[in-house]
Amino acid sequence: MLDYTLRRLVYTLITMFAVASILFVLFRMLPGEPTMQVISPAMDAAVQERMKEAFGLNEPLWKQYFIYLKNLVTLEWGRSFVSAQEVTDILSYRFWNTLLLMAAGMCLTLVLGIGLGIVMAWRRNSALDIGGTVVGLVFQATPPFITGLLLLIVLSYRLGIFPTGGMYPPGQRPDGLFDLLMMPAFWERIVLPTITVGAYYISTPMLIMRDSMLEVLGSDFIELAKAKGLKPRVVMLRHAARNALLGVVTISGIMIGFAVGGQVVVESLFSWPGMGQLMVESAASHDYPVAQGTFLMLAMLVISLNFFTDILYCYLDPRIKITAAGMN
Amino acid sequence: MKEHSDLSRRKFIKKTGAAGLAVSIAPISIFSHAAGKPVEEMSVLTANASFDPVRPEMGRLITQACKGIGWDVKLAAEDYNLGIGKVFKEKDFDMFIVRWTGRANRIDPETFIYMQHHKDGNYNKWGYDNPKINELAEAQQIEMDVEKRRTIVHEAQQVLFDDVARSPIVYPSMTNAYREDRLDGLVPMVGEGIGSFWSDLSVSVKSGDGYVRTGQTSPLKNLNPISATDSNEFKELRMMYDRLVQIAPDGSITPWAAKAINVVDDKTVDIVLRDGMKFHDGKPVTIEDIKFTFDYHKQWKAPFFISSLEKFESIEINGANSLRIKLSAPHAPLMVNFLASIFILPMHIWKDIPEKVADVDDVLNFANEKPVGSGPFRFDYWDRGKELKVSANTGHFNAPKCAGIIRVTYGSHDAMAAAIEAGECDRTRYILKPALVQDLDKINGVVGKGYPSHGFYDLGYNHLRGPLKDRAFREAIDLIIPRDLIRDIVMSGFAENGGSVIAPANEYWHNPAVKSNAQNVKKARDVLAAAGYSWDSDDKLLYPA
Repeated sequence: MLDYTLRRLVYTLITMFAVASILFVLFRMLPGEPTMQVISPAMDAAVQERMKEAFGLNEPLWKQYFIYLKNLVTLEWGRSFVSAQEVTDILSYRFWNTLLLMAAGMCLTLVLGIGLGIVMAWRRNSALDIGGTVVGLVFQATPPFITGLLLLIVLSYRLGIFPTGGMYPPGQRPDGLFDLLMMPAFWERIVLPTITVGAYYISTPMLIMRDSMLEVLGSDFIELAKAKGLKPRVVMLRHAARNALLGVVTISGIMIGFAVGGQVVVESLFSWPGMGQLMVESAASHDYPVAQGTFLMLAMLVISLNFFTDILYCYLDPRIKITAAGMN
Repeated sequence: MKEHSDLSRRKFIKKTGAAGLAVSIAPISIFSHAAGKPVEEMSVLTANASFDPVRPEMGRLITQACKGIGWDVKLAAEDYNLGIGKVFKEKDFDMFIVRWTGRANRIDPETFIYMQHHKDGNYNKWGYDNPKINELAEAQQIEMDVEKRRTIVHEAQQVLFDDVARSPIVYPSMTNAYREDRLDGLVPMVGEGIGSFWSDLSVSVKSGDGYVRTGQTSPLKNLNPISATDSNEFKELRMMYDRLVQIAPDGSITPWAAKAINVVDDKTVDIVLRDGMKFHDGKPVTIEDIKFTFDYHKQWKAPFFISSLEKFESIEINGANSLRIKLSAPHAPLMVNFLASIFILPMHIWKDIPEKVADVDDVLNFANEKPVGSGPFRFDYWDRGKELKVSANTGHFNAPKCAGIIRVTYGSHDAMAAAIEAGECDRTRYILKPALVQDLDKINGVVGKGYPSHGFYDLGYNHLRGPLKDRAFREAIDLIIPRDLIRDIVMSGFAENGGSVIAPANEYWHNPAVKSNAQNVKKARDVLAAAGYSWDSDDKLLYPA
């Protein structure tokens, strides 16, 4: 187990290095120049050079690359070209905002999705099964901005039940995360984006759970459990559901990773200052340090989640054997 | 055909007179390689709808209208930044639609006359080179008598219009909205509407905590007054940092931190500082701070100010509260482009920057996270991507009437409009989509309105490409622009038709003799025919033979 974990860790680090290098190249291949984005085009060439000098863009590319790698290792990710703030400060602030939103959205998605998936499989072909499948697919096919906009129009603009957006009321900045979480106004504001995110992703765990459950329910050991006279609830949850969870666990890791970086629309719609917005802003403005940091952080999250998913597999399915060569 | 061309040419020369001689013979000399061939397809570059929903719509109407003269033009709606790069860096474009926003410093004609049309103007990446305009642009720059300068600027506008250097499409209003049941005393300013500095000072709040919740869709990027170049940053920094003079709501110059600005001669200006000013940390504002501010900007080549500072020969303190600037040459835009823009820095803080700031070796990389100025508002906090909060500096010589301003960033125009409707936001800082303004105006307690602006939407030409080199061709394009349709439909009526490069809202500098061209396809075809262009059997436009 330890050997396997170490081996996976090494692979993870190599992947991260490759991603970091690709990101460095990709952003420099974008058309346009960073100085054009952060400074008025009316400024003359001398001023453009002045900006390049300040940002270190006057150095040869190979030198910029080594400085970039060194900064990555020493966790000094530089300063934003646009705001001059430290990238790590910007990322940590935005990351927490997104994480709060995604945690709420994913909790809703997984709890409701897995629960519904279990019940739908157990009551196959019932109205709940058919209705749940249809509703899930409709939500999945509906872009989040449509769902979000409808929620806003009905529950916020028309009925006035929820605020229109933001994380807290203007002028009432909380002192830290704990303070934020203690604010009733924050919870009022997170409801609609959470439902929007949840609605978009719910069909994935729900349908995978349903399919896995159906497969497991046809197994001999389920028949045996029923024949032993176990209560249906025990058979459904302890015997069938636990075995059916593997598929959901696999997809959840990837889904959470994408969800963190993929909420540009939801964040814009609900004026939520998160990672998605930051990715778009920084890439569009050629703010290399922030763009690289944002994408790298997202890549690290997905790679780490994959790593942990592999480890979690062993716990959930004891049949999987770990050897020095990997999983069997 | 040849005879016809020569005849047309003679007629054309006669009509346009001596001033147009150089351009009137252009079709024959510059298009000899393409004589009689179809005019090539070209494109109109615009920002895409997610950046500005109005521009692609205008572009579509204009490209459609080009069919009226038998010319195929396609629309290229691209990411704004890429488009800007194509125009200003790569110079790879045919025509482009851009909005020149009515920034306060653009009230001075320098931007629209010299910077955009002089052959060496920083904005002029479109190859426009007209000796007469070069001469007028230089003359207005050094003419210190404001009335004489106005005469020159008026003439320049006429020459630019006659030469169709570009086609101003419409002058859009600053479409703003505010809660009239919450706010009182807003002061609209030309080009800035109710989001102006004067509104910040004069507005009072009828209920609640007294803070004005001001919405904007673009996030605040930077609080460093040395590196700021964007009007978004200037609008927030000016609340916290004083300037020597301010641009008044009507566009005139009014004293601010400077008690007086005395123009000694064409190249010498004396600045007398107001007494009793203090920075937010309690330290007095002295004439040494002013000199330091100028020197510091020059030392670090502050991007926005470097071109003005290069014209400074010397800066010397010449009295207990006064300072003398000597210029290397007269420079009329100095007042607006420099004295009404530069922020007064506290020397006791900035003299140690960047030396004593960890990991910062250039002031452009300094975040200035807790700005200390002497302005009418004190910095409270900046929550990146979300909001900036400033509170009234009650000891200021022009103390605000409200408790403070909270600048909130909204994800979209729709989100901001919804927040105003719900009473969560009190006013807009910048433009709100015209259609939303119309809707908001119907709501009780909300005012949605357009305010005059000296900015404009513009169809720019690449003067180095194909038929666009030809004045007659550009005139024909100008004549087919459906300005009425654009004004009424695309702009929902919140605009006036464009004509001169200086908008009517900029009353002092605008030349009222320059009128907008009405759409007239027949006249456009006549202009082209007179210049020697013709059409094939499929009505495709052909170069002069």
